[in-house]
Amino acid sequence: MRPLDEQETTQVFEKLHKFVGNNLKNIVENPSHEGTDNTPGRYCFRLQRNRVYYVSESLVKRATNVKRDNLVSLGTQLGKFTKGGKFHLTVQCLGILAAHAKHKVWLKPTSEMSFLYGNNVLKGGVGRITESISEHDGVVVFSMSDVPLGFGVAAKSTQDCRKMDPNGIVVLHQADIGEYLRMEDDL
Amino acid sequence: MGKKKQKIVLPPDLPPEVPDEAVEVSDEDVLFVRENREYTGFLSNLDTKSINKHVTRVADVKEDELESLYERRLKKKSLDKETEKQGLEVDPVDALPVKTLDGKLYYRTVPKATQKSENEDKDEANTNNKDAGIDASVVRLTKAEKRAKLKKIRKEAKKQAKEGTEVEVEQIPQAEVLDEVRNDMTAEEANQKKKFRLAELGTALLTDPELNIKSLKEMLEISKDGDRDIAVLALQSLLAVFRDIIPGYRIRLPTEKEQEMKVSKAVKKMRFYESTLLSAYKAYIQKLLAVEKQAVYKRVAVRCICILLEAVPHFNFRENLLGAVIRNISSEDDISRKLCCATVKSLFTNEGKHGGEVTVEAVQMIADLVKASDCQLHPDSIEVFMSLTFDDDLGRREAQDAKNKFKSKNAKRKDLKVQKESAANEKKRTRKEMMSKTREEVTTELKAASLATDVTERRRMQTDVLSAIFETYFRVLKHAIKPRSEAGSSSQPAGSYPLLTPCLNGIGKFCQLIDLDFMSDLTNYLRKLARSGNSSDGSSKDVSACLTVSERLQCCIVAFRVMRNNLDALNVDLQDFFVQLYNLLIEYRPGRDKGEILAEALKIMLCDDRQHDMQRAAAFIKRLATFSLFSGPAESLAALVTLKHLLQKNVKCRNLLENDAGGGSISGAIAKYQPYATDPNLSGALASVLWELNLLSKHYHPAVSTMASNISMLGTGDNQIHLSNKSPQQAFKELSLEQDSFIVKVDLNAKRNKGNASLKQIRKGADLDSTVQVDENDVKRKLSEHYSLLHDIAENERLRGELVGTTLSLNLYEQYKKQKKRRTK
Repeated sequence: MRPLDEQETTQVFEKLHKFVGNNLKNIVENPSHEGTDNTPGRYCFRLQRNRVYYVSESLVKRATNVKRDNLVSLGTQLGKFTKGGKFHLTVQCLGILAAHAKHKVWLKPTSEMSFLYGNNVLKGGVGRITESISEHDGVVVFSMSDVPLGFGVAAKSTQDCRKMDPNGIVVLHQADIGEYLRMEDDL
Repeated sequence: MGKKKQKIVLPPDLPPEVPDEAVEVSDEDVLFVRENREYTGFLSNLDTKSINKHVTRVADVKEDELESLYERRLKKKSLDKETEKQGLEVDPVDALPVKTLDGKLYYRTVPKATQKSENEDKDEANTNNKDAGIDASVVRLTKAEKRAKLKKIRKEAKKQAKEGTEVEVEQIPQAEVLDEVRNDMTAEEANQKKKFRLAELGTALLTDPELNIKSLKEMLEISKDGDRDIAVLALQSLLAVFRDIIPGYRIRLPTEKEQEMKVSKAVKKMRFYESTLLSAYKAYIQKLLAVEKQAVYKRVAVRCICILLEAVPHFNFRENLLGAVIRNISSEDDISRKLCCATVKSLFTNEGKHGGEVTVEAVQMIADLVKASDCQLHPDSIEVFMSLTFDDDLGRREAQDAKNKFKSKNAKRKDLKVQKESAANEKKRTRKEMMSKTREEVTTELKAASLATDVTERRRMQTDVLSAIFETYFRVLKHAIKPRSEAGSSSQPAGSYPLLTPCLNGIGKFCQLIDLDFMSDLTNYLRKLARSGNSSDGSSKDVSACLTVSERLQCCIVAFRVMRNNLDALNVDLQDFFVQLYNLLIEYRPGRDKGEILAEALKIMLCDDRQHDMQRAAAFIKRLATFSLFSGPAESLAALVTLKHLLQKNVKCRNLLENDAGGGSISGAIAKYQPYATDPNLSGALASVLWELNLLSKHYHPAVSTMASNISMLGTGDNQIHLSNKSPQQAFKELSLEQDSFIVKVDLNAKRNKGNASLKQIRKGADLDSTVQVDENDVKRKLSEHYSLLHDIAENERLRGELVGTTLSLNLYEQYKKQKKRRTK
């Protein structure tokens, strides 16, 4: 377990910034009330076996007691660095993203299932969409009752979506909560 | 009868005038006088006054002037005769002569004069009765004043003349005075004459325009008169004449070829009539346009132009008239501006009169005006767009034409987008013009064949109008976004965007006509504008605080309207605008900002929207409750209505009504309520409690308090869900109307409040009233007690002082006595 170096930090932040925009500041400065201290601690980013975790400082202190080889996971996993050196967000970070998301898409109940099987979001399935999404922005996908389902990348800007036919792709799938079942082993 | 009178008034014929030196008094005469002194008594008895009065008037002038004087007098006589005859016919009783004992006939002069003036007024009224407005009356008033003044001057001059004759001073100053008087009189006579002439010509023209068409020129001549009154009168009577005789078609002067052709007599006559009418009209309009620039005539000219344009928008030279109207549409002068605006509005609403072409021209002219003056105009000038109407079905009639329209719309769209690159813009515009010209050529033929206005033509005009309007609107928006430094540092901080409010209104009204491609730009602009008040980030500091809260609220409203009207297919969430509204709620101040706009924003953004995030809804609920704590009853009731609406829709948010803070798992990532968060999603409002409702249920205004207690009941009785049909706007309106009366009398207001609470309120109100009265009496009594006490104390002190003084003096006296005794001893 080690802190991220500079290059890794920029990679992680760039990725997060796509989804949360200026709210990234809130993620980093979020006070944590974990542990016995009365003064709230902070959250920090830690790298453990190519995976990036979002951990409170008190937890980090306590985790130092565990041998690195034996430490499987701690805090909230944000994503992982691939073998090629790229950073990918994983589905576990959905909670953080959903709380701070800038661009949102709400799915109609009929198309929720399709998305949870790993498919892209089509225009016909969109119940509501945030205004001012531009192409290739990170988008968090919600159900109509505001339950976060997953996230992806916008294939089209909101303006372009208006003119699309109902079968056009609005959001390219990246992760969804169906993965907890489908890829139980990988996670 | 008139003649007789004139004879009497005229001085007796004089003996031929001879210079004094030339009079040879013979010695005999002198002797005779000396010898018979008593004969000369008649000289002393002579009424020199009356003689001089009659004689000096004529005697003082030189011979050659005398002739002209008599000529003038004759003229006047004839003129007066006419008018007097009229006057006498009208009222013979007043005009009856009075025969004195010596057999002389006296005519009453005073009633005649008034009669005359009455006649004049009548004539004026005849010419002006149609356009009798404020101006005319003002003019007349001044005229009357002037006349009175003249009379006074004349009287004074006469008096002076009398005195002069009595003292027998030199005759030169007297002559001067008389000259002046005469000049005045002749000028006035000329004016009168001109007025009568005007009236005559006008009535003649109206009765038979074809015969008397030439007299237009004479009227024009009169309008060039130096005297203001005459010129104004001439302009106005010309206006009345033109308005009646201008035909319902546009006059086209015959070409040379046509003139060479042989035509019948009637056609020739018609042509002559039309050409003279047109030339006179042209001259008249030129005169108006010239006169409009002079401050004295400005209002009259503007009024004439407006009436003319309104009455005959189809006629020749309307471009000039329209240009003048548009020029004055944002003038400083309230009256002329209002006139111009009303004219343009009536042009827009009565398109049938001119087939819509004038509308296009007017809109384009206004667009140019806005461009030229860099958006610093009076709001009225844009407000006129609101009276435009567009036919939505026009596009759907023929599919093919619709395609055409789409193309042209595309061109227009591009046109608007590259406003900055003026070169490209012009190119396109010229191309467009070319296109429209060719189309026009084609359509004119068609039009000639069928009188009805065809669809393509109307569609083209509508597109032109729309593009001009939106060009203007976008220009205004762009101008408002521009940083302060560019816009010019001299402009005042507040209200420097006078056109923004009407512009936003207009966009709200015509938003269903905006092309989808504009939409992104439009929302971008609106977002920037709505955000511009945020001084939180330093980057936007230069733009900050230039828009008022109302204007920013209006931006939000317009954005929602635009979305609502265009997005049947896609439901878009306007997150940014919600954030703005959330922050604006705190910045709102009851006195400063417009409550109607706030109520409208609440209605459109919070009540009408179907879905909300739970977080956001909770944040808004919390904020609305906070807001209603520090605003007036009307605003807070509007907020409470919205709050209730939100609570009814979002069942989960009713946790806020529970007593334990901390929403647990549903409160989301933020575990604690942060009242200062700018983003509703990050405020963590679900973790809070609506304690404000408890306070509000003790609100002094009964409506607010009942509403608050109703809301707090919502949490317990889940089953009785009835959606309130009252919108925040209605609530606000009701209360803001009530507000004035509420302050004055409490119980009256309480009666007006419906529902079961009214009884209680009445009692409460009565209590309040009586307590107030009791208090007043108490205070009075106590004050009087206090002051009487003070007075007593002062009195007491004074008396005590006196007492001390007297005792002292008594002591002194006793001592003195003792000493005296000692001395005597």
